Amino acid sequence: MNASDLLALLPLIILAGTSVVVIIAIAFYRNYRLTVFLTLAGMVGSFLSLPFALSVQPRQVTPLLIVDGTTVFYIGLVLTTSFVVVLLSYQYFRDYDGNREEYYLLLILATLGSGVLVASNHFAAFFLGIEVLSVSLYALIAYPRYDRRRVEASIKYLILAGATSAFLLFGMALIYSVGGTLEFSSLAKAASLSPGMNNVLLIGWGMLIVGIGFKLALVPFHMWTPDVYQGAPAPITGFVATVSKGGVFALILRYFSQVPIYDVPSLWWVFAAIAIASMLLGNMLALMQTNVKRVLAYSSISHLGYLLIAFLSRGTEAQNAAAFYLVAYFATTLAGFGVITMLSDHENELEDLDSYRGLFWKRPGLALVFSAALLSLAGLPPSAGLVGKIFVAAAGVNSALWLLLIVLVIASVIGVFYYFRIMISLYRSPEADEERTISAPSLSMIGSVTLAVLVLLVVGLGIYPAPVMGIISRLITGLS
Amino acid sequence: MATVPIEHGLILAAILFAIGTIGVIVRRNIFFMLLSIEIMLNAAGLAFVSAGSLWGQPDGQIMFIFILTMAAAEVSIGLALIIQLYQRYHTLDVDASSEMRG
Repeated sequence: MNASDLLALLPLIILAGTSVVVIIAIAFYRNYRLTVFLTLAGMVGSFLSLPFALSVQPRQVTPLLIVDGTTVFYIGLVLTTSFVVVLLSYQYFRDYDGNREEYYLLLILATLGSGVLVASNHFAAFFLGIEVLSVSLYALIAYPRYDRRRVEASIKYLILAGATSAFLLFGMALIYSVGGTLEFSSLAKAASLSPGMNNVLLIGWGMLIVGIGFKLALVPFHMWTPDVYQGAPAPITGFVATVSKGGVFALILRYFSQVPIYDVPSLWWVFAAIAIASMLLGNMLALMQTNVKRVLAYSSISHLGYLLIAFLSRGTEAQNAAAFYLVAYFATTLAGFGVITMLSDHENELEDLDSYRGLFWKRPGLALVFSAALLSLAGLPPSAGLVGKIFVAAAGVNSALWLLLIVLVIASVIGVFYYFRIMISLYRSPEADEERTISAPSLSMIGSVTLAVLVLLVVGLGIYPAPVMGIISRLITGLS
Repeated sequence: MATVPIEHGLILAAILFAIGTIGVIVRRNIFFMLLSIEIMLNAAGLAFVSAGSLWGQPDGQIMFIFILTMAAAEVSIGLALIIQLYQRYHTLDVDASSEMRG
């Protein structure tokens, strides 16, 4: 461990340090505003240290972690997303009666877990990152614990995540028993060792896919998604949909960077089948929902399916497409859950589709933001979602994945139906009985500025994606 | 001294893992579900230790220590949630807490 190693890990070290500072601050002086301020300051500090990490890359720091352009890009993305989630949570928990401060502590730790995930180059780091992330999430989901549904969602997540962690670990152990090293290079070694398929290795990969599929909420490991999305507090739902999935996705991109997945046909087909099932089933199940959070849950399943197309394509273009799609998806999802958060507080969440009826006539600003998010999720112009889908489709065309592309088109068409159903109800005339409709607290300054920035990002990326694509290709291409 | 072949260790681990998986699926009492998850995690730990001894590396045992640590963290949150579950529903049956559907 020398100075450049420390410099490379500076973003993660600052984040870990922030969690210690916050816990000490809470112990001596419990103050909501101070805690939020310290959290935001730590995240900004961590973000500002990214150029230092970039100056020493590419660098392998101990066998566990690797810091290169890809790592820096994804850590930056994760930090920005968590920053937005903190801003959205501020109003949501302002009037909460219990201890509000530890929420931000857990949020920092979850972000740290995701940061370790995107930097990991070793099964131990992979395991530690994913567990720091999920153990924090168990507590975050059940944070307003006076509500039964939070507890229910958290228990469901805990049991299923615990069981799939065991699958993940058993798969790692089997791969280790064949490859002889816990580093990600074991994949290359094991693949070259046994061109004819080794059964132990196949079982190991199968179990690894169960674990990864669960974290990414891909069909057939998606059962937890709607319940957890509905039961978790709205800002945390946004966090689960973005930071938690993004970290794992960046990790599988790295895991398969040494042996491209299309060189292992059996694995390729498993992932292709998962992608097709996720795209179709996610969109079809969303059609039947009447709860906005559950609709967004199924929609996120299908979006991860689209993303897998980039993962299954060859070339650096595909990597860039995946990174851009993640940026677009993160901005869109945060805008969507941001609107739900602004209309809710920790006691009552506005999630019934009927209660969104006529939102435009009462809260035109929020309705417009929500419409932009839905347009982007549906992949219609002018939005980031459309550009992201075009990049992913282009990567698929380059690799001639016609079957997957046909499914992508069909699934997108199905998707338009339910996105439009929500959108139309936003603009219908409000119902006569006002009781169960919108009675949310007035918008805070922080909330409206955050949402405005997000919507600018969603529309801006749709009209002029070049600057972001430039950053992505500079960081990821040529350095991976 | 005769050594235990690697297959035996892995097969034992696989049997334990299967027992744990069946436990999670069959049991409805939240305590037993958590216990079954512990069995699954320890089966994975055993697989790591046997694989580590095959290669003569300490890595497998280090992973086992990580697994123990993580299992402890998970159980501590699990027990806190069990208390909450009992206070809200007055039962430990997970089927009672299944209000969200669709």
